[in-house]
Parts: sequence; structure tokens; C-alpha cells
Amino acid sequence: MNSKTMFYILKRILLAVLTVWVVITVTFFVMHAVPGGPFTSEKAISPAAQAALEAKYGLDKPLMQQYFTYLEDIVTKFDFGPSLKQRGRMVIDIITDGMKTSAKLGVIAAVIAAVSGIVLGAVAALRRNKLIDKIVMVITTAFVSMPSFIMGALLLALFAVSLHLLPANGAAKGGLVLPIITLSLYPMAYITRLTRSSMLDVLGQDYIRTAKAKGVSGTKIIFGHALKNSLIPVITYFGPMLAYIVTGSLVVERIFAVPGIGKAFVQSITNRDYPLIMGTTIVLAVLIVIMNLVSDILYKVVDPRINLE
Amino acid sequence: MKKILALLLAMMMLIALAACTTGEKPNNTGAKSSIAVCLASEPDTIDPALNSAVDGATLIAHLFSGLAKWEQDANGKLVIVPDAAKELVEGVTNDDGTVTYTYTLRDGLKWSDGKDVTAADFEFAWQRAASYDLLADYGYMFEVVDGYNDIWETNDNGEQVNPDAKLNVKALDEKTLQVTLYNAVSYWNELLAFPVYFPVREDVVANESWATDPSTYISNGAYTMTGWDHNSVITLEKNPHYVDADKILMDKIEFYLSNDSNNMVANFKNGTWQLIDDVPTNEMATLKSEYPDEYKVAGQIGTYYVCWNINEDILPEGSGLTGIEAENARAEIRSAIGLLFDRNYIVNEISQSGEVPASSFVAMGMTNPDGTEFYKTAGANEGFEGYYNVDPAAFEDNFNAAVETLKKYYEFDGEKFTNFPTLNYLYNTSEGHKAIAEYLQGALAGIGITMNLENQEWNTFLNTRKSGNFSVARNGWVADYNDPICFLDMWTTASGNNDVQFGKGDHASVACYNLDLTSFGYDVKVENGTWADTYDVLIKTIKNCTDNNVRYQLMHVAEDMLMETGCICPLYFYTDTYMISKNVTGFFSNPLGYKYFMYCKVSD
Repeated sequence: MNSKTMFYILKRILLAVLTVWVVITVTFFVMHAVPGGPFTSEKAISPAAQAALEAKYGLDKPLMQQYFTYLEDIVTKFDFGPSLKQRGRMVIDIITDGMKTSAKLGVIAAVIAAVSGIVLGAVAALRRNKLIDKIVMVITTAFVSMPSFIMGALLLALFAVSLHLLPANGAAKGGLVLPIITLSLYPMAYITRLTRSSMLDVLGQDYIRTAKAKGVSGTKIIFGHALKNSLIPVITYFGPMLAYIVTGSLVVERIFAVPGIGKAFVQSITNRDYPLIMGTTIVLAVLIVIMNLVSDILYKVVDPRINLE
Repeated sequence: MKKILALLLAMMMLIALAACTTGEKPNNTGAKSSIAVCLASEPDTIDPALNSAVDGATLIAHLFSGLAKWEQDANGKLVIVPDAAKELVEGVTNDDGTVTYTYTLRDGLKWSDGKDVTAADFEFAWQRAASYDLLADYGYMFEVVDGYNDIWETNDNGEQVNPDAKLNVKALDEKTLQVTLYNAVSYWNELLAFPVYFPVREDVVANESWATDPSTYISNGAYTMTGWDHNSVITLEKNPHYVDADKILMDKIEFYLSNDSNNMVANFKNGTWQLIDDVPTNEMATLKSEYPDEYKVAGQIGTYYVCWNINEDILPEGSGLTGIEAENARAEIRSAIGLLFDRNYIVNEISQSGEVPASSFVAMGMTNPDGTEFYKTAGANEGFEGYYNVDPAAFEDNFNAAVETLKKYYEFDGEKFTNFPTLNYLYNTSEGHKAIAEYLQGALAGIGITMNLENQEWNTFLNTRKSGNFSVARNGWVADYNDPICFLDMWTTASGNNDVQFGKGDHASVACYNLDLTSFGYDVKVENGTWADTYDVLIKTIKNCTDNNVRYQLMHVAEDMLMETGCICPLYFYTDTYMISKNVTGFFSNPLGYKYFMYCKVSD
């Protein structure tokens, strides 16, 4: 890796930190600007109790002061504070608990989507206009156009209610199978189509024809030249795919009652649980920023011709 | 090429397989009985003192044992019976009017870690729950106990005046607990069965996170918590140390934590869960006909109503009315508008969960001292119960009468009113509330009154409604205990739940209310007083009243006052809809919505 690349990566990391800081700042102030508060409830507590609770959690301080205290705690102590609603629990514990499930869900869905998408796309390209290509194209078109909440509900009705093959509850044994399938179908279909068109493009290039003319074996042409080069657009899709999986899991977790971070995220907003809103937002933002960074760096690794500047 | 393809496929299958075996435990319940249910999502807390939710209360009722508990008697009637106490004694009235109760604990009471339960544990728990340090939502449930007012007395800056104040409750010895109330309270035994009155042990709760982990959650009830996968499932198993352990039939209860009603139905249909506490509104009709034996509707002490902002001027421009006359006219108009809604249509065609059309604000299920329904004796009208007749046959007459009343104030062109100011109806985002809002809008549009609809997200909505930034709003209230006062004391001027804004803003100076309590033996007679002079005084009198019969009559007077303002327009009394498997016997729920599984049996 040359110094230019190093410089690029360093610059990107600094930019990522800046992005996360902007997310923290905007979320913090928008969240406090929204009406209502963590201690608002249908049955109102007495004003004295409300004031005392606010003092207990430092919500009575000026907003700027709260903001700087929060930043300081995050940066110096990595302290996300206690949840205001789930009394006795720390935000970091809630996030860790949720992430265990969400990460499993997301990583498996991403791997399945990437592997099966690339394989199917390559097969379709190599068998262009044959029956298998047509079947793959029809199915992927369907999956690409179907939103995850419809797909989820369909799979739930079919496998969990009618056939009794899999549980409808994400917390049960085998409960993650349906959510994983639901979550992976869209990116899988997208990657399939991307790989197919990119591979067809590469297969028509001069250097492939040259290789063929030189008498290089078919396997070597496909794996040594065609596949590697046709993966470049696919890799650029990994960043957005992760973003899709993270946000998509908010919906999927709800449909299948998966105890993931998406549930905590949505609920924290309804509850105005300020520290939990901040915590989950930061974690999700960091995740997306990192994945975009990795995807950009991978881009360079796969194709050295690309100038990162 | 093919080999590599095959390898890739095999890898994918392996990954899928790995996914299949995630997050499971071996399911070896053996001969033990077990039940899986889903009430709601992760409870905010299951600390008995801090909990304020119905699902949390259900869990706590299984985990803890207070002086009293709810039970179903041989006839299926719900009763309050002694639990940790030997008996629910009568109070002794002291010279100053306070009432002292002395309870003796049963022998052999143990915590789930084997230590003895003592009267001091109760004393500690009560002091803690009512304390200024804990700031529990339901701390006010101790307001009947002597000393509570001293704890919560604040100065003008909102600071606590008596930091050392305590409740008048003492453990006289290991087994004797003495508590003194400000005055006799008819629902005292019911309070003893309320989670906030359950004991906790000082060394256990010293750890602030004690109630979030099974290893630190020491309880004294029929069950112990043996597992809590956050956001996923809470597992309770029979507590061998519980004094009545031999009477508990269900060995293990799994409370799955989800609030998605569609997911609940899927799990119920495929037999995974035996009870679900919520069903999607748009599937109610189908489920009711598909599962007639499983679909249940239970009573709940609560009222769904529409509330007006009393400071919203609804008189036509140039009416010329001011002061008392204007307020009386507005009250008459609001009451008339309340009669334009067909409550039978709302419950039968819109909400469809067996709700009961409401003709009063204090909900069905609240009883008078003689056991009769409070709402049936409300309003003192001949021929029907409540403040107006909700019989389907009476709707047309009500409607016509209302139109006649409105004609006194607004121009009517033979079909429609032409100068009624535009109203805004505020509700919280939900399909169910929206459907009702649209019906109300349509009913008013029929006679020329325009009402725009506005929905807000829950927390924002609560904030807007509390601060009085609305003209008309959806509202609802569910009782915490079986006493009408919890529907009435919320409307005092200073109450945090006074959404109507009685006695606030312009209404603070409106002096048009009368209160005459001389016939009840009180030296109170106010003519043309403000809300603070009348209603607030009345509620204070009720709270200090020791004669139960008089107290209930005064509560009827309070509801009369409230209903005369027309600011509260009750639509229906709530019900609790749930689904329970046919294979389950021995289940019951109480009027507050707590569900009891300890005496359940599940057949295959």
C-alpha cells in the first residue's frame, strides 16, 4: 500500500469521525426539540415528582450543558448513561443485548445475499438466454420489487401459520430463519442482477477474447479474469446493502418479533428515552460509516487501476 | 468450475444450517406443566414499586406476595383474599379520625433465596415506594396513608419541605405490621393487592439493577424468575419456598415479549402461544368468527371519551354573550353535540370488541357501597341509566333534541348550521382512533359543522393535550383501583391530568358554578363560584369524608358537575380483548386487566 492510499484512508477516517459527530449533534438537538419527554405519560405524575426526576437525570440543566456533558461522557468514558424508561438498565447493556441478535441476523443475511447473488448472477450470465437464466431473472425481478414487509408477512403466513415448519417468533428455536431469508432476498436479487450484467459486460471485453484466443481454459478465464473484474460494481453495492439490511431489519424485527436493536431503536423514540435514542443512533451511524469505508477500500483492492483521489 | 460451484452451494447451506440452530435451549420440560403467553413487549420495569403498567403488574402478581391478593372463588367471582397476612383485619378508628390496621403475617413466609419474610420488609418496601428519592409513578397510591402528605409537601420553589417525613407504618415485631390511614378507605384491601404495596428486601434493592436480572431478582411469591432474555422472553418457575406452593398448578410460565399484534396472532394460530393479549383491530371480526371459543372479551374499568378544551370559544361570531351567560351557553352546546353521536354504531361497527356504549364518565365496573353499579345510579334520570339515554331506540330523539338546542345559538338553513366555527379534533396516531375520529367528523358534517382531524404521535399528543393546545381531543381513562374517585380527582385545577383545563386560563375567573353540601352536613354553600371554589372543594371534601355512604353521594355530585360542563363526552366503556387456547383451564383476569396463570392447566 503506497503513501497515497494511506493518506486517502486516513482522510476517510477523519471524515467518518466528523460524520458521526454531526449525527450526534443533529440527533441530540432535534430529539430535544420534539415535544413530549421521557416522563410524559397518560397518567401524569405530580409536578414536584417530575421536576425531581428531571434533576436526577440532569435534564433540568441548560441544553448546551447537557450536550457537552454527553459528548464528554461518550468520548472520555464511552459512557452512554442509563435508560430513562427501563429503570435500572444501562443503555450500553440494552444495545449489546440487541446487537447480539441483530448482528447475527444482519451478517448471515448479508453473507447469504452476497454469496448466492454472485453465484446466481454468474450462472445466469454464463447461460445467457437459456432456461436457467430466464428463471433467475423472473425470480429476482419479483424479489427486487417486493418490499420486505410484504415478503415477511407472506413467509410468515406460509411457513409459520399454514405449514407449521418454522416458528413465527424470532426468539424461539430456529426463529431467525424466516427473518434472515426475508432480509436477504432483496439484496440477493439485486446482486444477482448486478453480477449478471457486469459479467456479461466483462465477457465481451477484448482481454477476454485475447485470453480465449491464447487458449486459456474456460475455468481460468471465468475465475481468473471475468469474475474478479465483474465484482467491482457488486462491491460498491456492499455499502448500500448494509444500510438496507440495518434499516430493513427495523421492519423485519417487528414482523417476526426478533429481540434486536431495531426494536429498541423504534421504542426509544416513542418513549423519548433520550440516552437510548442517542446510543442506538450512534451505533447505527458508526456501523454504516464503517461499512461504507470498508467498501470503498475494497474497491481499490479489487481494481488497482482505480484512483482513490 | 462445477466443483467450485458445488462448494459454494454447500457453504451457503452450512450457513443456513447455522442460522437454524441459533438462540435455542433444549426443551425438556419433562412431566412439568408449562404455558407460553404473550402480553406485551419488554416491561419498562418489574420492580413492584416502580411498575405502572398492566403487563408488569401481571408478572409481579406471579412473583410477589403482598398482604392480600386477587382470587377467583368457587362461583367464579373475583375476590380479595389474605395472602401474606393471616387475615384482612378491620381498622380501628382513633380519636383524631385516623384509622389503624394491625396485620399479623402468616408463618413460614420465605423469600426465594430461603430467608424469612418479615414485617420490616413490608415497612421498608412501603416507605421506599412512597419516598421522594424513588419518585415512583404510583407512589401516590400511598396518599391514603398517614404521613404521605408530609413527605410530598413542597415550598413555592417546588422543594421538599420535610426531608425526614415518613409514612405512619411500623413493624411492631417480626410478624406484626401496623399502618395508620388518614381516614377509612373503602378500597384499602384492594390497595393491599396492588403491586406497589408488595414487599421488597432492603439488601436486594440496594443494587439499583436488581430487577433486571434473574440472579438478583429475589421475590416472595408463587414464582421465581429463572430467565430473562431481554426483549425476548421472561421465564417464571414455581417457587418451592412459597407458603402455598402446593396449591400452585402451573410449573412454568413463559412470558414472550412482543407488541406486534399480527405476530401474536401468527404465534397463537400455530399453537406456540396459548394466550395473546392483543389482536389487530382489522382482524377482530374474522378472528371472532374463526375462533369463537378462544376469542374473549373481558370487562375493564375504563372510559373512551372525547374531551373539549373548556377555553375554546365555540359561540358564533356576534353572539353577544359574555361571562357566565357565555359559559352556560357553551356548556349547553357541548352537551348537545355529545348527543349527536351514535354510540351503538361506534361499538358495533367501528371498535367491534364488545365495548359498552357509555352514558357516564365513571366507568362500568365501579360499584356503590351497596354493590350496585355506580354508572347505573348516575345522573338520576327516570327511565334510563346515566346522563343520557344510550338505547339505540333513543338515538333519533336525542339527535333531534340536540339540533333544537343548537338552533338557539346558530343559524340553521333547514338542513345545516351555517355559522358554527370550525373545530379541530386531535387524536393519537392509530387506525382505531382514526376510524372513530372519521365517524365523529361525518356525524357533525351532516348538520354543517366542520371538524378537521389532526393526528399526532403518542408522546407529542400527550404533551399537546396536557398543555391545552387543542379544541377537541380523543381521551381515555382506565382505573387503577375500584373507586370512582380515580375518575373524579383528575379534574381538579392543579391535577396533571386536567386536560380539559378546568380552572385554568380564562376559565380560572369564570364564576358560574354552585355547590351546596349543607344537606350532607357540611358547612359549604357556594353560589356562582369558580371551578376552584366549587369542584376543588368538593373533591377535597370527598377525600376527607369518613362516612362511606355520604362519600359516594358526594362523588355522584362531583360527576354531575363534571357532566354539566359538557366538556366530557363519553363514548364507550373499554373492554380487554384477548385470545386463549381452548386447552387452557383455570385462567382468570381481574378488573384491572392483570392475568393469572398460576391455577391454569393445559391439556394436549
